[in-house]
Amino acid sequence: MSEPLLEVADLRIRFHTRRGVASVVNGVTWSVRPGETVAIVGESGSGKSVSTLAILGLVPQPPGEVSGSVRFEGRELVGASDADLRRMRGNDIAMVFQDPMTSLNPVLTVGRQITEALELHLGLRGDAARRRAAELLDQVGIPSPDRRLDSYPHQMSGGMRQRVMIAIALACDPKVLIADEPTTALDVTIQAQIVELIDGLQAERGMGVVWITHDLGVVAGLADRVLVMYGGQVVEEAPVSRLYASPAHPYTQGLLAALPVLGEHRDELQTIAGLPPDPSDLPPGCLFWPRCPKRLDARCQTERPVLRPAGPDHRVATFYDAGSEVASGA
Amino acid sequence: MAPEPGDELLRVEDLRVHFPAGGRALGKGRDVVRAVDGVSLSVRRGETLGLVGESGSGKTTTGLALLRLVEPTSGRVWFDGTDVTALRRRDLRAFRRRVGMVFQDPFASLNPRRSVGASVAEPMEIHGLHREGRDRRVAELFEMVGLDPALRRRYPHEFSGGQRQRIGIARALAAEPDFLVLDEPIASLDVSIQAQVVNLLRSLQRELGLTYLFIAHDLAAVQHISDRIAVLYLGVVMESGARDAVVGEPQHPYTRSLVSAVPIPDPERERRRERIVLVGDVPSPLDPPSGCNFRTRCPDVFAPCGTVEPLLQDTPNGNLAACHLHGVVGREVPRSHHPDSTQVAEAEGRVG
Repeated sequence: MSEPLLEVADLRIRFHTRRGVASVVNGVTWSVRPGETVAIVGESGSGKSVSTLAILGLVPQPPGEVSGSVRFEGRELVGASDADLRRMRGNDIAMVFQDPMTSLNPVLTVGRQITEALELHLGLRGDAARRRAAELLDQVGIPSPDRRLDSYPHQMSGGMRQRVMIAIALACDPKVLIADEPTTALDVTIQAQIVELIDGLQAERGMGVVWITHDLGVVAGLADRVLVMYGGQVVEEAPVSRLYASPAHPYTQGLLAALPVLGEHRDELQTIAGLPPDPSDLPPGCLFWPRCPKRLDARCQTERPVLRPAGPDHRVATFYDAGSEVASGA
Repeated sequence: MAPEPGDELLRVEDLRVHFPAGGRALGKGRDVVRAVDGVSLSVRRGETLGLVGESGSGKTTTGLALLRLVEPTSGRVWFDGTDVTALRRRDLRAFRRRVGMVFQDPFASLNPRRSVGASVAEPMEIHGLHREGRDRRVAELFEMVGLDPALRRRYPHEFSGGQRQRIGIARALAAEPDFLVLDEPIASLDVSIQAQVVNLLRSLQRELGLTYLFIAHDLAAVQHISDRIAVLYLGVVMESGARDAVVGEPQHPYTRSLVSAVPIPDPERERRRERIVLVGDVPSPLDPPSGCNFRTRCPDVFAPCGTVEPLLQDTPNGNLAACHLHGVVGREVPRSHHPDSTQVAEAEGRVG
């Protein structure tokens, strides 16, 4: 197997706020290899987005405080200089955000926003830059790319704008693409188009893709490996088919049972009672303990579980043992 | 409450809502946004009709027009035998007492400067209900939606999204309506919280014998909660029928592509399934295609689709579908793309 492109180890992020210290990422470790798609799944406040912002050096410090290690092809990015980070962003690691309207500049044409990246990172100018920009728009499936270069973002639909964002992200041929909820703001028929597009581009270029989402439905079709985050921790990590077939963490089990599935009938959706933990007031033991239907009282309440093996390439952070229940139950 | 067949609570006939658009093309009339362009629906007492559509399909405007929160341009809405479109102002208030509405963003629909209890009591003030013991009634409503009644003295910012949506539901129930219009009530919530709200809505429906119009873009959620489903596209109902028939054997190419685009949380099934990926975007409601609204993206388009506006017709499995594949039925339309204002008036004359 090839070497990982990007390796995150024991990443921790805290914010100093008026209400005290909020620990939003609490020791996260993962990696992505060329050609691999890793999905990071979590609900609001799970720390999935902020942990990837930290990779790119985009967490303001202060009030933020980032520790741990992020290595791209062996180079350490935590604590790297602004100049080094700027060179790396876009060239090596590119990012696509949820809302293309807020990440595109409304007063510049689409073409200008692509050529800006080409100028800055590759030194392309004038006609050469414009030709390359049109090629990129063509690659992301935008019809009549030459004309579209002169459009402004508001003249495009949400799906088209997201394609433009992807074109900008691909401009410098990055080795890793981080996509943060890239389809959440889009309609489902447009979502299908974007998923297919990123899939195809990845196959062509062998990029590592990190797909951040709250949607376990989308993940099933596109990921190789899935990480489930809760309260700023990875609580479960497994190859995609294994995660859905035998989820080991009570939180993952709860999420899957809470999903309505098209073409299936569940009288009652299973719910997860209560609310996610407050990052400025985390419980001392397992972060999921207050909501957990499988909790074992004493230990879960006082000791925080760490990731342990739960099968081939499968790790889980819980004291609950799904296997033992299957064996002794029924 | 088993609904008697034909025991219809709400009936919508060829509803249209057109908004004047800002622009005015040279030498032509004012541009018109055809947000809702001929929607017919029927909801039986005690059932849930799911109204599903993507952005710009007109689903929210349809919901608002039913309550006359926007005025319909043409068409009729019957509620329990009364023509809502003909109601005068005073009678409109009595009608609105019987119909509650829950919005997508409960934070935007709660007054940040009033306690949530006061917001829940507001419909009772407006309708002069429970003059005595109004606070006790608010406490009851809180319990009904699974909130601690002691929380009613607090302010909206102190609540999570899921709790706020429960408050929104309590307020919609305050005037004891028969019918709720639920407009994307779970779209802004996390998955684990969505399930809580969906289960609450279902148990309230059983306890109180409520009838729902559940408006959403998420077909999986709509399928879970609905008895019947209507699919909207660009202001027109493309297909409607029993929930299992619409999801399991869709009769309209648009429904088929919508069903195939919904992700299934099962990697094995995802890999096996055949996906119909539609090309292009939804056309602008300022300038919808001639004939069938879906024809510009339809994989099965053929000659009559550009010239004949399809009408809902019976299909083999009992669904209604507005599609010429089931036989060319509909009104011939002139090929003209941009109807000027006189043509719009004529078209509407024919409708009414």
